[in-house]
Formats: sequence, structure tokens, C-alpha cells
Amino acid sequence: MQRAAFASKNSLVTLLVSVLACVFLYFALVGSLFVALAVIGIGLALIVLGEYRGKAEAIHTAFGEHRSLGITVLIIFVLTLPFLLKGNNYLLHIVVMGGIYSVVALGLNFQMGSTGMVNFATAAFFGTGAYTSALLVTKFNISPWLGTVSGLVLAAVLGLLFGIPALKTRGYYLSLVTMALQVIFTLMIINTSWLGGPNGVPGIPAYSLAGFSLKTSVVLFGIKLPYQANYYYLVFGILGLAVLVAARLYNSHVGLAWNAIEQDEIVAVTQGINQTKIKLLAFALGAAFAGLAGALYGHYTSFIGVENFDFSISLIFICMVLLGGMDNVLGVVLGAMLLTIVDEKLRDFADYRMLMYSLILIIILLARSQGLLPKRIRKYGKLRDSKIEPISNG
Amino acid sequence: MSLLLSQIINAIMLGSTYSLIAIGFSLFFGVMDIVVFSAGDVAIVAAFSILVLMGTQMLPVLDSILPHAVSSVVMVFVGAMITALLMLLMYRLVIKPFEGKSPLMPLLSTIASGIVLRELIGIFYPQGRNPQAFPQMLPSGTISSSLMISWRNVIIILATVFLVALLYWFVNKTKIGLSIQAVSQNREAAMMVGLNWRLSILVTFLIGGFLLGVSGFLVASYSEVVRFDMGSMYGLKGFSAAVVGGLGSMFGGIAGGMLIAFIEVFVTAYIPGGSAYSGVAGFLMVIVFILFKPEGILGEKTVEKV
Repeated sequence: MQRAAFASKNSLVTLLVSVLACVFLYFALVGSLFVALAVIGIGLALIVLGEYRGKAEAIHTAFGEHRSLGITVLIIFVLTLPFLLKGNNYLLHIVVMGGIYSVVALGLNFQMGSTGMVNFATAAFFGTGAYTSALLVTKFNISPWLGTVSGLVLAAVLGLLFGIPALKTRGYYLSLVTMALQVIFTLMIINTSWLGGPNGVPGIPAYSLAGFSLKTSVVLFGIKLPYQANYYYLVFGILGLAVLVAARLYNSHVGLAWNAIEQDEIVAVTQGINQTKIKLLAFALGAAFAGLAGALYGHYTSFIGVENFDFSISLIFICMVLLGGMDNVLGVVLGAMLLTIVDEKLRDFADYRMLMYSLILIIILLARSQGLLPKRIRKYGKLRDSKIEPISNG
Repeated sequence: MSLLLSQIINAIMLGSTYSLIAIGFSLFFGVMDIVVFSAGDVAIVAAFSILVLMGTQMLPVLDSILPHAVSSVVMVFVGAMITALLMLLMYRLVIKPFEGKSPLMPLLSTIASGIVLRELIGIFYPQGRNPQAFPQMLPSGTISSSLMISWRNVIIILATVFLVALLYWFVNKTKIGLSIQAVSQNREAAMMVGLNWRLSILVTFLIGGFLLGVSGFLVASYSEVVRFDMGSMYGLKGFSAAVVGGLGSMFGGIAGGMLIAFIEVFVTAYIPGGSAYSGVAGFLMVIVFILFKPEGILGEKTVEKV
């Protein structure tokens, strides 16, 4: 009896929180600069306050019990968003970019969040996917879909190669290697005319499905949806898949092994974790995510230039993971979405863009280094229901 | 022959500027076990401070009471003092709060604060995003026209040698320098014998900032222009030099700086189309070094303990 009441209360909490989250995101998106900033500010304050009062843990348990309910609300929100935005192409563009960046940030999270290897070459992976697909499609006339797959594969191979230094070094040395690789990537693109050089690659064709180009607008349920809506559904389909993969990995033995490496590498190895395999997996998988997103980016914007893939972009991805919460799948997506929205809202102040990002980074590090949605203590089996607190590993 | 010689002089000059910033990295790393990634940007702040000072009436006033050479030195000194204080501020704001936490945090916070400095120059200096001509404060005449050695080259190299010698004397012969070494080797032991480790760290940052300031002046004099975002590449190369030479070692920084400079200069000079790829060659060498000799040329090999 009491148990039933408890369960229904938790389902209500889940429903309320997920709807509230969607409402906040919606208003942050559609509001003008000040409205958006105010909404985001209130949202952040609520998250921090909830954590402070211990409510976050209760909400987390509620979500754990009624996961399908929360996911349903989110899926309905994602599916109806283009209609809620009344086919506004600019707002849809922001969300599409947010989706693309979320996929990249999820990939970076495998290395940085789960395994504790700060990778400054994410933009190089992102660029590898974009350049591979764009060049194959524009120069050899292959299908953009095939180009995207090649971009993903090549980025993964590059990730494997970039991951090799991670086997021998760590910490600052590993960071320096990834920085050097990122700089080398940028220099190679600028200095190789076949890769477009400083002029970039223009005129990248769009995807088409059975003769229907994704660059055409559609009228659905009486609302004229711009072509961005097609990409919106494509990108969010892929993002959904990426979230699924990331969440499954987090809960699997692979996620645990990554965390073990992050905690203490030597202890992890002595306990029988295959360091080579598990570290290379983090790099290859993360790079594959970034490469896929890069190819999508190229076919969406139809132009790529080297400035979309340089060191500062890598830093922005790091910022996204850190803001959202390291090793928290939902948090990383939230961080990527929020930063993309804020970035677009501040478009009029483009000169201050990098200044803003670096100040945000410093403020997160100083004030809330665990991110908006911090990493939770893993719960297994009966521990979930019992009152016994699992021993904190942080 | 004279081409080769002038290339060597050029490489030594470039290597001097890399060495100074590498020593800065090593100083900070030694005393706090962190990498201060904003070092390159701090150095460029010195160059811009000197530019601003040149715009004021300070130099003519100084010239009226002092010989020109001395007043130029005073200007550089003032610029370097500004960065020394900036480094102290940086220590207080973005390094000290992360003491004892994951090394990832000061790494990211110093990168971010470097960008803040860079962007502030770009925003607040008049037309700050365009390259600025850096006034020639060093004498321009040549010593030997057949060998293409100018006074500028000699002064940059001599200034570096002088600074390194001064630093060597300071670290090894003065009481505070020795206490900095003690804190670098073992902070707890240094505390136990009653050394003021906090003061040692502050002094290290002050000296390191001063060194970075002078190196910023030298690199600006070398390239004759300054750009607001020059610091990122300069810092990355300085850090690479420190790692190649052996992070934490003073003479290692010089060796690493020279090695990177020689590779860059010679790839540019002797490989067709090499100028575009000189940076690539330098960084490739850094990666090879980290993979196969991570302790660097002069660093000590450390064995990791659980």
C-alpha cells in the first residue's frame, strides 16, 4: 500500500522534472538573449539548489525507477520540437548544431570523462570525418551516405593511431602529444592545397534519401518545415543512437574498466584490465563519434574550413564535457546543448566568443568542477533498493 | 658557408627565445608540479606592455636623463615587472585554488586564462587583432656584413646567456633560491626544516614571470611584429622545448629550445617547400621524444610507484 503510493509519487516526480527540463530548454532556445540567459540562469540555480538540499539524489532514484517515463517525455519533446518552433529555420539550425556537437562531446567523454585522458585533438577527429566525407563526395562523386561511413571509419583509424601515445604516457605528456597532433592536423590542412588549404571545401552536396534531397522543405500537418527539420530528425536519430551506445557502455564492464584506469592505472592493470585494449577503445570509439558528427556537419552546412577544426574548437568540446558533467551521458549532452545555445544567442558579440568560453571554463573549474550533472555513484543489484550507501569511490 | 653560418646564428637566436620560456615552464613545474600553459600569453603581454609604454612619453623623459641604451633596458625591465606581477595574480586566481586536486584542473584553468589574456589584448588594444609592428629597440647595425651577423642577433643571444647565468646564480647561491630548490625536491621535507614554502612559490612565480616578460620582448624583437595570439604557439613550443630537454631541468630547457629551433630553421632553409612544414617537423620530433625518451635529454628518469 505504502509502497504503491511511494512508487506513484516517484513517477510523478519523474514526469514533473522531465517536463520542466523540456520547458526550460524550450524557453532558453526561443527566448531573446536576456530571456534565454535568465532561463538558463534559473535552471542552473535550480540544479545547484536541488543538489544542495539533497533533492537531486531523490530525483535520481525516481528516474532510476521510472526511466521509461522520463525517456518517453524526452522523445515526445524531441519529436514535436520542430512543430513547437513553428518551423523557424534559425532556431532549428541551433538545435541541429547542438545535436552534432553533442555527439562529438559524447565521444570526447569516453576519453576525458570516463578514462581521465584529456584529449586536445577532438577537433582533429571531427575534422577528419568532415574532410574525408566532403572530399570523397566532391572529388569522386560517391554517395554522401557512403562518404559519411568512410569519414567515421577513417576518424576511428586516426583515433587508434592517436591513442597509441596514450599507452606510453599520461597526464601532461599525453596532453602535449594530443595538442601537438591537433596543431599538426591544422598545419597540414592549411598547407595542402588538395585538402582545400586555407580556403576550405565549398559546395558539399546534401544527403538524399531515395531521390528526396534533405535540402528540400516539407509541409507536414499544415506547418511548412524548412530543410533544417530534415537534418534535425537525422541528427537527433543519430544522437539518440549515440546516447544509447554511450549509456550501455557506461553500464557495461567497459565503462567500469575505463573508470578503473581513471582512478589508478597501475592498480587497474594489476587487477587484470587489458590497458592497451581499453585505452585504444576509448580513443577509437570517441574518434568514430567525432568523425560521424564531422561528416554530418559538412553535409549539413555544405562548407567546411580549417577554422571549424582548430585548437580552440577542441577546447570548446572540453568545455562542453566539463560543464555538463564528466562521465555523465545526459550531462554531456546538456552541456553541449547549453553552450551551443548560449554561443548562438551571443552571436552579436562574436569578438568576445573565446573570452566567454574561457571565462566559463575557469568559473566551472573554480565553482563547480564536477559539472552540472555530476557523476553518480554506481549502483548495482540490491544496493539500489537498500538504504546502505555504497562506498564512495571519488 | 656564410649561408650555413647565418642559419646557425638564426637558429641560436630563435633557440634562445624558446629556451627562456622553457626555463619558465621548468621553474613552475619544479616548484608546483603543474604546467602553466598561459606562459606564452604572459610573455606576449610583456611585449604589448612595452608597446604601450613606447606610446607614452616615458622613453623621451628617460632619454633626457639617461643614455639611450640604459633607458631601453629600463623600459624592458618595467615590462617584465608587469608580467611578473601578472604571474603572481595568475597564481592566486587560477593555480592556488587547485592545489592538491586533479592536475587536469590547473592545466585547463591556465589554458583558459591564457586565452583570456590573449582575447583581452585583441579586444582592448587599438586594432589589437591585427599584427603590430614592434619598435626596434636593439641597435640595428651589423658587426660583419659578410657573415650577416647583426648587433640584434648578438644582443638577443647575450641577453639570454646573461639571464640564464643570473638565474643559475640565484637558484644555487642565494638562500631563497636554495629554498626554492628544496621545495621543488620535497615540499614536506622543506616544511619540516622550517622553510617558508609559500614564499618560495611566490618568489618562483615572480622570477618566472620576469623571465617570461624578457623572453616576450626578445621574441617580439626577433620577429619584429607582435600578434595578440602569438602566445599560444610560442607557449606550445616553449613547453615542447621544456619536455624535450627534460621538464624541471634548467639546462635541459636550453637544450630542448635549441634542438627545436635548429630543426625549424634547417627544415625551412634546406628542404624545398619546407617553410610551411617546419612547425610540423618540430612537433613530430616532440611526439617522438615523448614516446621514446619521455624523461627528455637532461631529465631524470623517474620510476612510478603505487
